Amino acid sequence: MANTDINGPIIISSIIFLIAPAFIVAYILVYNRRKKRHIEEKAQMKLIFDAELIKTQMEIQEQTMQTIGADLHDNIGQLLSLTSLTLNSIELDNTDKAQQKIDAAIELNLKSIKEMRLLGRLLHGEQLLKLGLEEAIRSEITWIEKSGRFAVIYDIDGERPDANNADKDLILFRITQEILNNIIKHSQAKEINIKLGYRDTGIRLQIIDNGTGFSIGDLPEAQKGMGLKNIQKRAEIVGGEVFIQSTPGEGTCIDIFIPYP
Amino acid sequence: MFGFLTVNTGAELICFFTAFFCLRSEKSPVWRLMIVFLFITCVTEILGYHFKMLYLADRAHARPNVWLYNILLVFQASFFSLMFNHILQPYVKSLPVILGGLAIFALLYIYELIVHGIFVYNEMTNTAMLVILILYSLYYYYCLFNDYEYHNVLKSADFWWATGILFFYFGTTVLNIFFDNILKGRAQSLIQLNYFIYRSVNVIFYSCWTYSIICKRWLTPTLTAQL
Repeated sequence: MANTDINGPIIISSIIFLIAPAFIVAYILVYNRRKKRHIEEKAQMKLIFDAELIKTQMEIQEQTMQTIGADLHDNIGQLLSLTSLTLNSIELDNTDKAQQKIDAAIELNLKSIKEMRLLGRLLHGEQLLKLGLEEAIRSEITWIEKSGRFAVIYDIDGERPDANNADKDLILFRITQEILNNIIKHSQAKEINIKLGYRDTGIRLQIIDNGTGFSIGDLPEAQKGMGLKNIQKRAEIVGGEVFIQSTPGEGTCIDIFIPYP
Repeated sequence: MFGFLTVNTGAELICFFTAFFCLRSEKSPVWRLMIVFLFITCVTEILGYHFKMLYLADRAHARPNVWLYNILLVFQASFFSLMFNHILQPYVKSLPVILGGLAIFALLYIYELIVHGIFVYNEMTNTAMLVILILYSLYYYYCLFNDYEYHNVLKSADFWWATGILFFYFGTTVLNIFFDNILKGRAQSLIQLNYFIYRSVNVIFYSCWTYSIICKRWLTPTLTAQL
């Protein structure tokens, strides 16, 4: 090939060989800009998520306070007033009647202590969680079993992941407390079955009782708002899902899945 | 007196002085070594000009300056390998790959020295080095792609250093392919074209490196600087 003949191919190939790295560099710059935008969007989403989480935690706290306030006023307050009234009405001359009233006052006092303990457990929740979610739930079960009204079966399936998420643990624990309180107050159940399962992608909590059950559609809106809606809202905040199955007379099954950690 | 001052040597000297002023107090010894490497490059270019003049004046007794560039190849391979190891380290265990590349270079270099001696350019070694360095640059980009963290590459010294290498060795690939034709032909138009392309690529290369040095000195610290 004559020297002049290869001038053209050399120029063209050289230009191509310079354009190629230029394109690679341009592509990296564009990709990097997109990566930056993606990271910024993710940070923004995390901020929103954190804000929602804080809001939920505050709502939970507020609700706990309301429960405590209502219980103090309606339950413990009433019991103590009644105790006081009973004690005031004792006539020391009539020993038989006085003894009856003293016994009644003692019974009312014991009831107050029981209610106080119940409230104590609500406040104690976060401390229980320091032992881990499994132990916190176990502690709730031990307390329920002490009443002698319920037979509780508690199963843990799978291995707890090394990395934990304290916020999600607290929310899941509060949901568990809410469901157990509903069972104690309304279900008239004899057996409670609790399954806590660790999956690759999250935690599954299933609580089944053999109580009276209910028809979800028939529940008054206000009642739904207090219990089931709260459970659903709390689970959704941490990206979870709640499935409720209940038939009147056949008990209730609540299935919760929360991505974890 | 200043006949050695060409576009190529000018770009090299600017890069050297930038490195000297910006990297003197640099914490990373590998980056500080760049001053030494650029100094060796500049000295080689000036000596290369001097020996070329001697050869052109007395072709019967003097030899071409090719032997000087054969020696420079050793410094280039060593420094580039060291630097690539330094910039790849935050992402992968690069030492085995770099040592493998250096072994290939050493084998080819010794082979060519045995076959034709030091006064003929080690073309095969240079081509192998070209391929290896392009692969290193692309591998560095791949690591950047894979990295979860965001780094502002516009201000990254490592990025512009690797980019300079990629531009230079990609750009001179054609000249290396047609090296024999250029060398044997000696047609004035071909030699001028060769110089023009080489000068252009060299200016791009040293511009990238000069900017890389400026990034290292003044702009956002890169990942390697934090290690």
